[in-house]
Amino acid sequence: MDDLTEMLKGTLEGCVLEIIGGEETYGYAITRRLNELGFADVIEGTVYTILLRLERNGLVEVTKRPSEVGPPRKFYALNDAGRAELATFWAKWQYVSSRIDGLKEGRR
Amino acid sequence: MTFWETITGSDLTREWKAFEARAQQLPAEYRSAWEQIKGNIFAYGDFTGRNLMPIADAALGLLEEASADGQPIQEVLGDDIPAFCAALAGGEGARTYRDRWREQLNRNVARKLGRLGG
Amino acid sequence: MGIQDVIEGKKQWRAHVARVKALPPDYQIVYKEMQKYLFKVGPIDLSEGRLLPDIVDFFEEGVASGKGVLQLIGPDVAAFCDDLIKGTRTYADVYQESFTANPGPTEK
Repeated sequence: MDDLTEMLKGTLEGCVLEIIGGEETYGYAITRRLNELGFADVIEGTVYTILLRLERNGLVEVTKRPSEVGPPRKFYALNDAGRAELATFWAKWQYVSSRIDGLKEGRR
Repeated sequence: MTFWETITGSDLTREWKAFEARAQQLPAEYRSAWEQIKGNIFAYGDFTGRNLMPIADAALGLLEEASADGQPIQEVLGDDIPAFCAALAGGEGARTYRDRWREQLNRNVARKLGRLGG
Repeated sequence: MGIQDVIEGKKQWRAHVARVKALPPDYQIVYKEMQKYLFKVGPIDLSEGRLLPDIVDFFEEGVASGKGVLQLIGPDVAAFCDDLIKGTRTYADVYQESFTANPGPTEK
């Protein structure tokens, strides 16, 4: 689906938290995962800016690990604050999506 | 009393000296732009100047980078230095300036990458 | 103080500049224009964080993966910069706040 950028704004950060919550991972792998999910327009630069914010807000632990190709990679894992933020994200998502579904069902 | 005379804290003086030493390395037209920027950002009020240090430092960094690139000074600052300085300090017109800087950034990138390809 | 000292002294700043120079031409062009923009906007991360070296880290990873710079960060470089500093204060903000927090000059 094209042109999801506007709609994804605000939820992408939650998606990134969820992916990191699964296992420690790095920017490129997160981008690929989002692309595979069907968010084809998401590019590494966007994910990078999200990761930077998560780091700045103290939601992730960052570890540099050597890579087979090129310079060391930064790996991200959730800390307690990150897990709490992720739970908040899903609660908000649940709220918004159930209300929007309700709106659509009310149409009939 | 000028701003310069009000700075008495020795740490501030030391930092300003370091700024001046950096400014001395700049080409003449950049140096005179630096003088104008100083004059303008300190028009902002009556205070010790500590809060302005990072702003002045970033402005000097900008001049250094732009001169290393050989960019004409007008291209960097525009022709209205007082307005530019107001924008640096977050004063009136800062938002308009930020939009202008944004456009300038993308335009420069497009132009320079285009030149690279051609 | 100073953005350049911040990257812990002159030597480190020179090392930083050398890393920029080692990037491919398209990356260098974009990095330099971004840096100029960031100097004007003045996010406090310039001096309190590792914004500039982190960008170079990210760019080096992009080079290693064989991408062009705009493939990595998208065509709107200004939007990428704004995303990088989203939610952070600028020197101008701090300066402006110093008036509201402290009515009247505080001479020591």
